[in-house]
Amino acid sequence: MLALRLGRRTHLLAQLRRLLVAAASAGVGFLLLCTLGWAMGHPAGSTVRLLWCLIPLAATVQFAVAVARADPILRPRAGLSAVGLGPARLTALAATSTAVSCALGSALALLFFLHLRGDLTGMPFDGEAAKLLAADQPLPLGAVLTLLAVVPVLATAATALALRSRGGADRGPVRERVPGAGQEPVGESGAGPGADLASAAPVPHPAPAPGGLPWGVALTAAGLAVETYASRGGADSALPLPGHFGGSPAGVLAGWSLTALGLALAGPGITHLCGWLLQILRPGAIRLLAGRTLMAEARRIGRPLGVLCAVLSGVLAANSLYGPGDERPFGPLTALGAALVIGCTAATLLTATLEARQVRASTTRTLRLAGAPAALVRTAAAVRATTVLAVFTPLTWAVASLAAIPLSG
Amino acid sequence: MVAPPDNDVLWARSLTYSHSGSPALDDVSLGVREGEILAVTGPRGSGKTTLLRCLSGQLVPRRGEVWFNSTPVHTMSALLRERLRRDRFSWIAPEPSLVPELSAWENAALPLLMRGASHRAAKTAAMEWLERLDIGAYARKRPGALLQSQRQRIAVARALVTEPSVLFADEPTAPLHRADRAQVLRTLTTAARSHRITVVLATLDAEVALLADRTVTLLDGRRVNAPRPSEAEGRAACSLSV
Repeated sequence: MLALRLGRRTHLLAQLRRLLVAAASAGVGFLLLCTLGWAMGHPAGSTVRLLWCLIPLAATVQFAVAVARADPILRPRAGLSAVGLGPARLTALAATSTAVSCALGSALALLFFLHLRGDLTGMPFDGEAAKLLAADQPLPLGAVLTLLAVVPVLATAATALALRSRGGADRGPVRERVPGAGQEPVGESGAGPGADLASAAPVPHPAPAPGGLPWGVALTAAGLAVETYASRGGADSALPLPGHFGGSPAGVLAGWSLTALGLALAGPGITHLCGWLLQILRPGAIRLLAGRTLMAEARRIGRPLGVLCAVLSGVLAANSLYGPGDERPFGPLTALGAALVIGCTAATLLTATLEARQVRASTTRTLRLAGAPAALVRTAAAVRATTVLAVFTPLTWAVASLAAIPLSG
Repeated sequence: MVAPPDNDVLWARSLTYSHSGSPALDDVSLGVREGEILAVTGPRGSGKTTLLRCLSGQLVPRRGEVWFNSTPVHTMSALLRERLRRDRFSWIAPEPSLVPELSAWENAALPLLMRGASHRAAKTAAMEWLERLDIGAYARKRPGALLQSQRQRIAVARALVTEPSVLFADEPTAPLHRADRAQVLRTLTTAARSHRITVVLATLDAEVALLADRTVTLLDGRRVNAPRPSEAEGRAACSLSV
């Protein structure tokens, strides 16, 4: 109840993000139910269809976690702290909020599914897909509930895990207690041991550079190589690709998974590198602030950036699979799945950017106190965005082009 | 609107301000002469910080006037006040608010870099002030790796590096122990005297106030004559017994 009461009073943007999570959850729930409906009438190949749902499911869970991390409920507040609502309880509140949003989405998915099957009447389009969704057969209740519970359960568990691992109240990058009592810096005049009892307040400490860049590059290269090799194989796989493809779909999918994993791993490292490049060679205030901020935010926004890069390059490459007279043409459910994946990954990146902005709020206040004009802060943000775009856009295009070569060959 | 006296670099008349309805300043007037160190004293909640924020253009008083060098600050646009704060004023907060992503010298040099100074010149000036404040050895460290006292000295260096016309110091030695406090205050006052920087210093500490040329005392947002120590103690005792 407290989660609902707090959530009801939050900012409109926060409520909109929760609604988007509910919508994404509804989309995935609907895809899963459609898979079930199709499987009831056509049992062959149903496992493969279910497996394809894993991609939008993963994107939705990632989005739900990102929204929970940026949730204003999690912001440490004196009022809640005074009544004993510490980091652990706030994490539980955020997880509850995620569960409620996802459950709402699942309920909507069920209603829409039943409506299309013709089980609910009195509205337009009722029973439009009755034949496809096996309306003549009763729905297995256990299967329906299990499929609808997948998104809420996974999203809630991932949220709880993600928030628990970051230590609850800590909203900064990597924060640690400043060396204080009993630790005297060598050569320090005047600052005796224990001279800094006030330093018990946590101070943001720059996180070390992300170390995943070499692994990410290696995995991406390996993935592209596997995909190219697999495209020469026979089309005897049990995992048919959409559109038309003559090679080994299983190999291509394995290659693609490796490439996507590599890009996700390399994302933080590439972002950090962007920041480092931005602030080298005697920078002025704007380049210095933009570069260092990007370096500090690399872990927070780098992963969603890498995932978005992987998704977009995948979409561009998959585009080459489709053409006239395809055996498996681009249908509405494929479109829904693609829209969910692209929308969720883009929304995750935006939410992570928003979270980074929230974390940076104290730094912005400090800059304003030091007399920095608002234009400087805005320009530094624009420089960061331009740098990231300038690096990730060609990277996405290059990976997409390399991945599309074996598919179109 | 009456122009302020010519010899006052900063002048305020009948300042009144309230935080969301809670009165913070009530009809406070004062003048600060060029190169003067003015201490603003008073117990917590007496309006010292609000007064400094009004004088420095961070807040616009609900009523009253603030003049800087015969220029009305209270009628300036937000953009002009921002520029004034950047070019002519400096601010030291009770807590050392530094940019965590920048090293000590970069934090100290930031105001110069924001003004468009070259990287080399900004670094040289920042290092000079860090050396004067005995933290030159930590110039390359990030704030997160430093003690609170060291961070506060960086904040002091950042405030002094531009050699501002007016330096607003809001309890600058609050987080420091006695030894650090003496050294930071000595540097601050020496710099102010040698560079003719006007200092408006809010403090709770009577010893700190002794370093000032003049003292203004606030109580419940109003300017009063400074109470004698025995009176202040008596008041505290009374409030405790209630």
